[in-house]
Amino acid sequence: MLGTFCVLSAGVQRAWSSSSCLFMDPSSPGLVLQSQSTDVFQNLALEDWIDAHVDLQQRSVLLLWRNRPTVVIGRHQNPWAECNLPAMRSAQVPVARRRSGGGTVYHDLGNLNLTFFASKKAYDRRRNLKVVTDALRRVRPQLDIQATDRLDILLNGHYKISGTASRLSRKSSYHHCTLLHSADRSAIAVLLRPSCPGIRSNATPSIPSPVANLSDHAPSLQWEELLEAVVQQYSSEFGLTSSSQCVDPADEALFPGVGSMEAELRSWEWTFGKTPKFSVETQLELRDERPAARCSAQLQLEVKNGRVESCRVEVPATWLPERLSASLAQALLGERFCPHRAAAALSALLRCESGPLHSRLHNLCDVLVAAMG
Amino acid sequence: MLSHTDLLLSLSVVKGPCSSEQARAPESSREEEERTSYQALKFTDKHEWIRVEDNGTGTVGISNFAQEALGDVVYCGLPEVGTQLAQQDEFGALESVKAASELYSPLTGEVVEVNTLLADNPGLVNKSCYKDGWLMKMTIAKPAELDSLMDEAAYERYIHSIED
Repeated sequence: MLGTFCVLSAGVQRAWSSSSCLFMDPSSPGLVLQSQSTDVFQNLALEDWIDAHVDLQQRSVLLLWRNRPTVVIGRHQNPWAECNLPAMRSAQVPVARRRSGGGTVYHDLGNLNLTFFASKKAYDRRRNLKVVTDALRRVRPQLDIQATDRLDILLNGHYKISGTASRLSRKSSYHHCTLLHSADRSAIAVLLRPSCPGIRSNATPSIPSPVANLSDHAPSLQWEELLEAVVQQYSSEFGLTSSSQCVDPADEALFPGVGSMEAELRSWEWTFGKTPKFSVETQLELRDERPAARCSAQLQLEVKNGRVESCRVEVPATWLPERLSASLAQALLGERFCPHRAAAALSALLRCESGPLHSRLHNLCDVLVAAMG
Repeated sequence: MLSHTDLLLSLSVVKGPCSSEQARAPESSREEEERTSYQALKFTDKHEWIRVEDNGTGTVGISNFAQEALGDVVYCGLPEVGTQLAQQDEFGALESVKAASELYSPLTGEVVEVNTLLADNPGLVNKSCYKDGWLMKMTIAKPAELDSLMDEAAYERYIHSIED
């Protein structure tokens, strides 16, 4: 099974037939779960499920998980502003929007995610982060590890190895954080940049920080040892027996309804449609080959719920008649802000136009599509 | 006979609840204006308030207890005008430095207006949670639901019970 990392620790790993067995043990003040899945949507759905269904008034839960390469944006962020969607498409790296706040992060199998579930009354992010920092200091006392006021964890006072986000819902809370063990830092640099220029938005921005992997500074620290340390520290801090249970977040028998939660998180409407309204204002560079000629045009778009709400394409009339640029702008209205949708909408228009202006129109279409991330 | 201005000046130094029309004059203290409108509020156990306006719509916001607990609000995720809400439906979220916090509709109805000032100034929710930091306005489809909400005194008792 791809990405399985369940650690069989001192506790017994049992097969769970229903979530009531898993969560209703009255003798335990909480439990530690490890997800068998490396699919971000399944893992986020499991978080939602636990948040909605587990009674956290008297107990706490820690969920440990990791994902195949993914970019995860915060609840109120703009994916076009935060990450390079064309590069991600080529690399087959999906984007996911989580329900908690905060900024954009890159996940891969070298990044450990920890989710601390508690009642709203017991919500204490500092206490949770202390589990992580104490665990690290115990296994590698020579490392300089500190949690900041912003609830980042820094290595050597400078490199971010963990970021935090959280959510408060009806009856409960969760606080999750990343922990960089051995992630691909070059991917971060390539993927966490805007998809297209000229975005103006009041979506919550990310705060970029220099990052480091624990493995760069403590090469002998293996993944399994890190996991064990965290499980032990959490258990001791929260008064549990030190063991963890493996779960399959796609198991509908264990987590009834988790499948539809996953489907919602995967949906375009959630991932892109929930983007706060934004505008794009950028200059387009147009060119002709025979004879060689150039021209600048202005693009102005408003995007609401991920769709083009208004569009203006200002091309000098000497380059293209105004009626043509206006009809291009018109063709994009109501379409998803997406290069594929734009290309489809515009190609229908292109088919109708032949003659000497066709190549200029074609060039304008290409440039417009490229401006859409 | 006191001049209009004299009357307003003398009223503005009086603390405490005042239901006379003069107390709503612009020159009255902000605290007095806040308290006058505060008394007409009903509260949910999720710390939202709703105020029934003269035209029968309800203005919705979050309480002082809630805004203090949230910390500085950095983003308000509000619904579209026209959204149909049942009582207790999630209608949006506030993001603060502490968390993304869901918002729950106090009543059943339709969203008729959202506070567009919050887009550029989400901090209004902290600075003026009962007045300029209102979140949305909605129709009141089932007025009987108001009876299930707490008045100010009941809400004060509720807060004290959860703080213990």
